Formats: sequence, C-alpha cells, structure tokens
Amino acid sequence: MQKNKAHEIICAVRAAAAKRGIDATFTLHCEKSHLMRIGNNSVSLNTSEILTRLDIGVINGRRTGSHTQMGDVTSQEYVEKALQIAVDKAEVASEKDYQPISAIIEAAVDENSQYDKALEQVDPSFKADAYRQIIEKVGESYNFSGSWSSGSVELFMVSTANDLTVYHLATDQDFNVVLKHPKKKWELRQAKTGWRLADFNVNDVVDGFKKLLPVYENHQGFKLEPGEYTVALGSSALAEVLMMACYTGFYGRTYEEKQGWTSKNKKGDKVLGSNINLIDDPTDDKTFTFGFDLAGKTRALFPLVKDGVMQNMMYDIHTAAKYGRELTGHTGGSTSIVMQPGSALPDLLAAVKDMGRVIYIPALHYLNMSNPSQGVFTGSSRFNAVLIEDGKVVGPIFSSRITDSFQNVFGNVRLISSEAESVNLSNTYGRRMPEASSMPGYVVAEKVKITDSADSF
Amino acid sequence: MTLSADLKKQILQNIDRVGTKGAEYTDARFYTNDDSETLFLYDGNLEANDTNFESGLGVRVLYGGAWGFAATSDAKAFDTCFEQALQNAITASKLVRVPLHMGKKPAHTGKFASPLKQDPFTVPLKEKLEFLSAIDARLKEDWIFKRYVYAEFQKKNIYFFNSEGTQVERSLSNVFAKMMVMALDSDGQMQRRSQDLFTTGKGTRGYEMLTQPELFSAHAERIKDELAQLIKADILEYGKRSVILLPGQGFLQVHETIGHPLELDRILGYELSYAGGSFVDLDSFGKLRYGSDKLTVSAFGSIENSPGSFGFDDEGTPERDYLLIDKGMLVNALSSRAMIDEANQKAGRTVFTESGGAARATAFYRAPIDRMTNVNILPGNDGTLEDIIASTEDGIVLDNPVSWSIGSNREHFHFSCEIAWEVKNGKKTRILRNPSYQGHTVEFYNSLSAVGDASTWHVGQVDNCGKGEPNQIMQLGHGIPVVRFDNVITGERK
Ligand SMILES: [Zn+2]
Repeated sequence: MQKNKAHEIICAVRAAAAKRGIDATFTLHCEKSHLMRIGNNSVSLNTSEILTRLDIGVINGRRTGSHTQMGDVTSQEYVEKALQIAVDKAEVASEKDYQPISAIIEAAVDENSQYDKALEQVDPSFKADAYRQIIEKVGESYNFSGSWSSGSVELFMVSTANDLTVYHLATDQDFNVVLKHPKKKWELRQAKTGWRLADFNVNDVVDGFKKLLPVYENHQGFKLEPGEYTVALGSSALAEVLMMACYTGFYGRTYEEKQGWTSKNKKGDKVLGSNINLIDDPTDDKTFTFGFDLAGKTRALFPLVKDGVMQNMMYDIHTAAKYGRELTGHTGGSTSIVMQPGSALPDLLAAVKDMGRVIYIPALHYLNMSNPSQGVFTGSSRFNAVLIEDGKVVGPIFSSRITDSFQNVFGNVRLISSEAESVNLSNTYGRRMPEASSMPGYVVAEKVKITDSADSF
Repeated sequence: MTLSADLKKQILQNIDRVGTKGAEYTDARFYTNDDSETLFLYDGNLEANDTNFESGLGVRVLYGGAWGFAATSDAKAFDTCFEQALQNAITASKLVRVPLHMGKKPAHTGKFASPLKQDPFTVPLKEKLEFLSAIDARLKEDWIFKRYVYAEFQKKNIYFFNSEGTQVERSLSNVFAKMMVMALDSDGQMQRRSQDLFTTGKGTRGYEMLTQPELFSAHAERIKDELAQLIKADILEYGKRSVILLPGQGFLQVHETIGHPLELDRILGYELSYAGGSFVDLDSFGKLRYGSDKLTVSAFGSIENSPGSFGFDDEGTPERDYLLIDKGMLVNALSSRAMIDEANQKAGRTVFTESGGAARATAFYRAPIDRMTNVNILPGNDGTLEDIIASTEDGIVLDNPVSWSIGSNREHFHFSCEIAWEVKNGKKTRILRNPSYQGHTVEFYNSLSAVGDASTWHVGQVDNCGKGEPNQIMQLGHGIPVVRFDNVITGERK
C-alpha cells in the first residue's frame, strides 16, 4: 500500500532495480518522537524529533552490503544514490561461505491497529500538567523525576523479489515517575505504558504512590544477608530476566553457536519448571505488535516454552542462512513475548500470606549475564522493594543483588499471578522501535540467591 | 563538508529571532555529516558491511528556566525546528521548581580536528577488508569454535552556534576495533579472549592507528594462546584475595564506579528515573575519601589521542584538564554549565568554579548531557606489572570484562572477566576460568594498594557508553595503569 510520495518514489526505484537484476531491500523508517524529562520537580527537557531513515540492503551472489541514509525522501535520485552506495559495497565485499537469504515480502500488510492519533499529537503541556498534578497531590516535599516518551513509527518495506509492500503505523508511550525522599534516600516508581493516550491515568499514578508511601515513611530499611530467599519478582523484574533468558536461550544465533544456557539441550527438552509457558504472540495487545519482520516474513504465534519444555528457536535471516534454518519472523523489529499467567490471586500480599518471609523485588537494575553458558544473571533491586512477612509488608529493603541462574529461579516458581501486565521494554537508542512484553503481575520463586546488599537504598 | 554561508545566516537569524521572543539562551548544532562504517568479519564471513550517513540540525532553547529541544533531518524544516524548540521550552517552563541557568560567558570562536593522518573514509573498502581478513586468518584454528574481528569508523563535522555569539567548528574522527576468539572448555561452556584497539594517548587516530601492530593486530597470537590454556583451566574458587586489574579490565571498573557516579547531572538527581543516582552528593566534594592516597583521577587529562578528546564540548566550552580525585580525596565532578550553576545554588557555596567541559550529545538529534571525557587514573610509583605481582601474596590478575552490573547509585558492583592468573607468594602460577569479583565502591577504592607506573598505562577506548533519555551512546577514553586492590570478594559462593 503506497501511502505517500516517498513510498511511490521507493517503489519506482525498486522496480527499476529489479529490472536491472539487483537484489535489494528498501526499508523506510519515519518517527515522530516526543520526550519530556522531569528532574527536581521541574521539566528538565522537552524534546521533539522528526527523523526519517532509509535502509537499503543489497545481495550480490554471496556478497552483501548495506547503507542507511537519514533525511527526507523527496526524489528518485536520492534513493538511487543510496542504493548505489549499497550496490558498490556489495560489489567489493568478500564472499561468504554460505548463500545469504534474500528478503521477500511474504504477504502484503497494511496495519495501524495500534495507532492513536491523540497520542501521536499529544500536546507536551498535557504531560507537564500531569506531572504537576502528581507532584502537587503526592507532595512537593519529595523529589520527583521521570520521563515520558511518546510518538509514532511508520515502517514501509519493499524488496526486489516481488512488488508486495508492507506498511506499519503505530503509536506508543512509556511513562515513568520516580519519587525520592530527600533525606532518607529511598526511591519509589510508578510506570504506565500502552499505545493509546488513554492508557495513562494520572489518578492511578497518585494512588500508587499513596499506597506505598506509608510503608516507606514508617519503617527503617532492612539489610539482607547473603543467602537463599523466597523472592517475588514483579512484572518489570520478571520481564527483564525473561527477556535475557530468551536472548541467551531461545535465539538461533546463541543456540547454534553454543553461547547460551540451552546450548546442550534440544527441542523437546525440559529447561524450566513445568509451570512456565512462554510464547511470542504478535497479536497480544499488551505488547507492541508487528505483523511482519524486517526480512518481510509474516509474524505469527510462536511457542518458545510449553510446560517448561523448549519448543522453538527464533531465527533471524542471517542466522537462518548461515545454519540452513527456516525463517521464523525474528529478523530485527520487536518481539511480543508473553509469559502465561497462572492461578494465584492478583493481590501479592494475599497470595503469600501463608508463605512466611518473602522478598518483593518489582524491578531490577543493570541486569547482566555473568555466565551465559550457565544461565547465570546478576542485577540489583530497585524501586519499591520490600520485605513481606505472613502477607504483611514489614518494610523496605536496601539495594540487594540477585546472582542466580534462569534454571534455578524458573525451576522453583511456586506462584504465578493470574493477572497479566504490559511491561514496556523500549529503549530510545537509535531509532524508535517500541517493544513490550506481557507478564504475570508477579511470580514467587523459592531458593533465590541474594549475594550482596548495600547499606543504603 | 562545510556549512554554506546561506545556511549559517539562516541559523544565526533564527537564534536572534528566538532571543527576541524571550529565550535566555539558545544554541544550535548543525552536523553537515555524521558518518559511520562498520565492518564485521565473523568466522571469516563479512556479516556487516554497513555505512550510515546522517545530517541535520539540533536546537536547544532555555526559556523561563527550562530547556526545550527540537531536531530535524529535513533541511527545509530548519525555521520550524527553531520554533518547535522555543515552543517546547515555553511549555517546559510551566513546570519549574528549580530554574536552570547557563551563567554568562563571553563569546569565543574555536576550531578542533581530531589528529589524523589518513581519514578511514578515504581508504578503499577493499583495503580495509584485506587488513581485517589478514587478522582473521591469524585467529583461525581448528580448535577455535568462533572468531570475529571488527572495525568501526566514525566521522562528524559539527558547527556550533549560540546566542552569546560563540561559534565552534569541529571535525571528530574515531576508529574502534576488536577481535575475539571463543572455544568450549572442559565443561562444554564457552570461554573467550579478546583484544580491543587501544591508544598510548599519543599520536594520531586515523586509519594509521588501526594498522599499528602493537595497538591491535600483534595481540592475535597472544589471545589465542591464552584461550588454549583457559579452556583447560580450573575454575576460580570463591574467597577474599587481592585483585590486580590490567587496563583491559581497569578501564571499565573506573568507568562504572568513578566516571558515572561523578557525572554532576546524576548527582543532582536528573538521571534517577533511568540510569540512576549517585552515592556522591554535593557535601562529598572536599570531604569524601573516595580511595586510598594512591588514587588520583583526572578528567580529560590532556590526552591527545582518545575518543574522549574533542576540543570543545557541545556547549562550546573548551575541554578542560582537571582532577576529579586528588590522592584519594574527591574534589570535582564531570559537569556542564547549567549543572554547576544549579549545584552551587543548591549547595549555597561555590562547589564548582567552572564547567568541566563535559556537555556532550551523541548526535544532532539529542540534547547534550553531562558525560565522561577521559576519566583516568594517573600512573603511580609501584613499578611494573611484574613488580606488583612480586609484592602480592595471594591474588589474581584479571583482564577484560564479560559482564558488569552496578547498583543504581553506583555504590556496589559485580564484574565477571574473561581470564584470571592466580598469584601466590609473588608469583603468577596458573590460569583460572570464570573469574568474577564484587565490592562496594568506596571500600574497594580505599583498598587500592598498588598503582603501576607509566609503563603499565594505556588508553582504553569506549565506543558504547549509554546514558540519558532519550538514550545516547557516547565515545570516550580511560587512561589506566595496572592497579591492585586488597581483600576483594572473588568468585561465586556455592
Ligand atoms: Zn557508561
């Protein structure tokens, strides 16, 4: 579907290139981005960016080259020039020892089911006003910071393999606000995500803080000694850990190259606990959905782990070519990882009332893989982390480090919340490409290793 | 590429126009070009053969104590871009509890170009590929499971203008490169050794730096040899011992636990919602014993050849050489104009006399924030690596990071490394695999017991420091000698 002049120009250059026998893929990425940052109860940055990028990839036999040009597409000459750069690069490139796969648009796509004009065009003063309300209603004596990113992405793609086109238009937002006590130094956070402006509600944010504040105001911090604990991971911490488990366990590249924690396993092996189910579901509205990937492959429901058993590996076009595998819809772009909810009460405190001492860690900071082969990750608690005893919050905990393996944590899950939450995983490095996962509100795992803790929050 | 007279006139007129509408301060950065090229040979296959060309305008307006920023890649939309930045600042000024100010600076003009003999973008692709392929061929062995070698070239031409009349022109060039070999160990787990292109701090940073064997290619055989031993090595046992960090690991230790916590915007709470805060506060300057008296740390350090040497920052401030930590005492921060103004107001005294020249933006479409330049440990008097090993009773020598995870206020950390060499009674004994260590920042630096001399010092290049919202990747350097810390928790508890 050609939506505008730029698309027409690209299609014309595509047709001419196809006639010349060039194997090329053209991807146009247009973003309208807005971001407001808050620091010290003030707007510290209010920024708008309108950016257009044209990516061209060329395959010449077993040689490849690619070029990205930033700027508006207003003439055929502009696109032809960028194409020529990629063609020249492929010409000089050394040959691979395998045949690269050409991107082919599998089926025409024209999607805008997650587009909200109100969000795309939101007046920045709406954001400033919302932050002002939060600060005034929760209390000026606290120190507030935060950021609120919103915008739209238009993605248009064609290749010389056929004359089909794919087009994606969608909006997304990622709101967060952090409250810090100026003297006691603890930090609380509230976040909202979604593709509609209406997914944000200022009163929810205020209520969220008001629920947490008494716990923090009325209790001292606890320092955890290293050891094994029953830990409830909130949706944000859970998403961070599971996404890392996916990158290092369920991607074809890490698997084929024996870099990850599943490299000694094969499809059908039990790698996690029987209550763990993971799928990539590009129709789940709690995620940012893409109907195609950047190889033109149509994206569809893709099971990763069923009842703890490894089902499939995600392959990008380069890995598939190198190792002779099928494309799975995982070339570039965003996944829609969904962990299936369980049967536990959505209210964590009610759910753990017979479990004695539970450490609740809603978010993890600076997660990394200290040993990818063993599935060992490490990261420390941040925001709203508390010690719970017999279903009652005892008080906040100091910054505590978890160093444990995916197999251990997700092999010992006792409770999984029955309610799903959307967790925004987008970053704003480079181009706008929103990603979110759908996670249970929490999971409770036993025997989780806390390996260090600070003397402060 | 140069800026046309017409475009320059248009930018200057717009800066004036925004000023007449009430802006306290405006600056504009026009990038005629921001080019990068990535070549990545993986198992001998050229997996990345990419170029990326960008150009455009970024405008920052301070109005009513608040920043507005706008950027466009569309050359026809420059006037609109100034208007958008102003409108964004006006909107931002509606929620201001702590107004930001730039302070006043006299106008100046400046020019800077990274020292270089041969612009990598003028070297034919074929020649670059032949160079990398030759290294790749040296890395290849039957027992090596995976190998890669890559190079990245960057070149930016930036024109800076502000409402004070300052005009700065810069041409910045970077070359990064890395090689790695991987093999399965006796447990079937992947081990690796790597080498990054580094600098001596001297000389030029064009293509000629990449081809200087001692800075890169000559290390191919060494990393292979070390990997061959590593895959048969014992695992490091959990316990407290001394750690001797080679510059290949020390640079990241300093980066994460001295560089980041000393960024003034972080200290003032502007990064809380994402990158995190800092255990350092304004009272810490002149009072906090950050490390032992062997620890002296500089910013910039007048290093000629580093990605963190760029002449002028993205506010037009000349890059400045000063101490962050002086014989263990914390004395200064990495800073920009608005942040020192706010810090001094907040502290009610002059904590910082002038901007650290550390306001940096990754691209035209990002606003500058407080970044690292070069953050360096100055060489000490404890001799060579061999001298330091000889004076170590029970320790490990560590090189090259595998993972790093740091507390949100940079108060604690955990690193794992590629390789360790055991040191017993002053002698290097055997290689150990899966090494890791953890600690609490201030306690750790106060256990610094040896700092190597200038022979152990080199500049590690960082091409991927991430910070800020919207996120920004930054290039910088760390001049680091061999350093030893005592009583460190190493390995993982069973
Ligand atoms: Zn960094």
